[in-house]
Amino acid sequence: MSNDSDGFEIERFQWVGKKVGFYGSIFIIALISVFPILWMLITSLKQPGNVVAFPVEYIPRDPTLENYRAAIEGAPFFRYMLNSAIVATGTAIVDVFLGALAGYALSRLRFRFKLPVLLLILGTAMLPFIARLIPLFSLARSWGLLNSYLGLIIPYAAFQLPFAVWIFQAYFKELPDSLEEAGLMDGLSRVGVLFRIILPVSAPAMATAAIIVFIYAWNEFLFALTFMTEDSMRTITVGIALYQGEFQYPWGTISAAVFMSVIPLILFMLFFQRKVVEGLTATGKA
Amino acid sequence: MAETAESSSRSPDTEGSGRQNRLQRYRDLQFSEEELAVILLTPVVSFLFAVSFYPIFDTIVGSLHTGYVLEMNPRQFVGLENYRNLFGEGPYLDQLLNGGGIWNALRVSLIYTFVSVPIELALGLGIALLLNRDFKGKYFAQAAILFPWAIPTVINARIWAWMFNGQYGVINDLLMRVGILETQFPFLAKPDTALIAMLFITIWKTSSFMALILLAGLQSIPDHLYEAARMDGASRLRQFRDITLPLLKPTLLVALIFRTLPAFQAFGLPFGLTGGGPSSATTTLVLFDHQLTFNRLNFGEGAATATLITLIAAAIAMIYVQTLYEPEVR
Repeated sequence: MSNDSDGFEIERFQWVGKKVGFYGSIFIIALISVFPILWMLITSLKQPGNVVAFPVEYIPRDPTLENYRAAIEGAPFFRYMLNSAIVATGTAIVDVFLGALAGYALSRLRFRFKLPVLLLILGTAMLPFIARLIPLFSLARSWGLLNSYLGLIIPYAAFQLPFAVWIFQAYFKELPDSLEEAGLMDGLSRVGVLFRIILPVSAPAMATAAIIVFIYAWNEFLFALTFMTEDSMRTITVGIALYQGEFQYPWGTISAAVFMSVIPLILFMLFFQRKVVEGLTATGKA
Repeated sequence: MAETAESSSRSPDTEGSGRQNRLQRYRDLQFSEEELAVILLTPVVSFLFAVSFYPIFDTIVGSLHTGYVLEMNPRQFVGLENYRNLFGEGPYLDQLLNGGGIWNALRVSLIYTFVSVPIELALGLGIALLLNRDFKGKYFAQAAILFPWAIPTVINARIWAWMFNGQYGVINDLLMRVGILETQFPFLAKPDTALIAMLFITIWKTSSFMALILLAGLQSIPDHLYEAARMDGASRLRQFRDITLPLLKPTLLVALIFRTLPAFQAFGLPFGLTGGGPSSATTTLVLFDHQLTFNRLNFGEGAATATLITLIAAAIAMIYVQTLYEPEVR
């Protein structure tokens, strides 16, 4: 072999090495990221007796759905998920509506005290949740909102509103002025322009805001734990966190319940990933 | 405002009279920009006042009273007594139930926040640099990497509690197979390892979130800067130090604030993982506050703790903004 081809070989070797290193590190990071969920799936498929075996079984022998049956019968997990879905959807609707209105005003209208209003709205995102818990709890109690969906939707909507406002005002700022001008020329009022021209083209921002708010509301724990004291009104996070077996802690059942509860999130990430990423980066870019 | 109803002949909407009527109604709603801004913002601002500012105010007032919330036991003004009890010796029973007190909770929260956030930032930057190029399967890799962030914290805590289980946990099994451990180790039953496990889990969960925010920042850096640097013969490391880092600074600031404040308010993770134990080793400030309020129904001291948390959170946010904000960077 000549020196030339040696050099070529080495370069080629380095190139392959770099590729392997790159894909290898991506693979390892991805594996570490999904391993816990994978482990829930593996645990949930084991025979109940084999869940607490040591050394640990990595591939379930005689896989069974017994743990899923126990989970569905042992606690109203589907009810919990329905509660979560209702609360999260309601919160997303409120925040998309209010966020779009405020985002429009803050990005496309000229008025006094604009910056202070924007800072005031964004500043509420920094207030600790625990410091709002007890006063809101007693308000909710006196208005009969404990153990009701609205009782969670109202605080969640307020907590996530700054992010929704931010997403909308960032989106509206990028729209061309000619959109409004055309509407105004056609004789629409400003309200007309907002409802007939701006809102119809803001579907991408609506989707982004809705998804970010939905995931927050689906995942929240502190308020859900405090405001929903009746078992039938619990959200899925609280339902799983408070699940107790009759005898020893039922890890097999819990694994099945956890896996069922994250299926919607898995699908969400696979189908709406682009939106999720957009939402995160929009809230992250100041 | 110049626009009037006269121009309706040019309007494209002439299909139906119902539509015409609707259009007419829109035209009747003529507001100036400022009026419309007030109309659009009033609901939002009053909503936030009611649900965000009023409760904070009420908590601060409540921290100066006892008998808060419980109606049979109406509020009584006690001045700073709640704060004194919180930081003072406290009754014997409190010590027994709690083992830690507020100083311990403060220490746990500060360690938790200021150990986890820098590591998350470094790992997140590494992952962002890896993802900042096109490759086959990027969509799935990104979805997988985002998983930890999407899983609810408290469910995540239950998952890891099972994986760290002292008898049957997969982590014990793996470490024994690799030869690091000889026999099972009760990670969550020892104060030091319980805290380390909690740090590990939160780092695992939020590094991907950091990565995404930083990735957006990386993508906004124009390519021609790197090209120019390459022409000048700058090494990869120099490019990173002199182009990437300075231009990433605003994004880093946002990522820091976005992570530090939630980390300082950690609740679901210790609640679901260890319940704050063993012997308060993982009791964060918010968990401490929650136990104070709901287990011992000490609403006054609970409100005092919440007030302190608010003050510290505000201080953290202000320090970050002061040190990292540069007006000339857009």
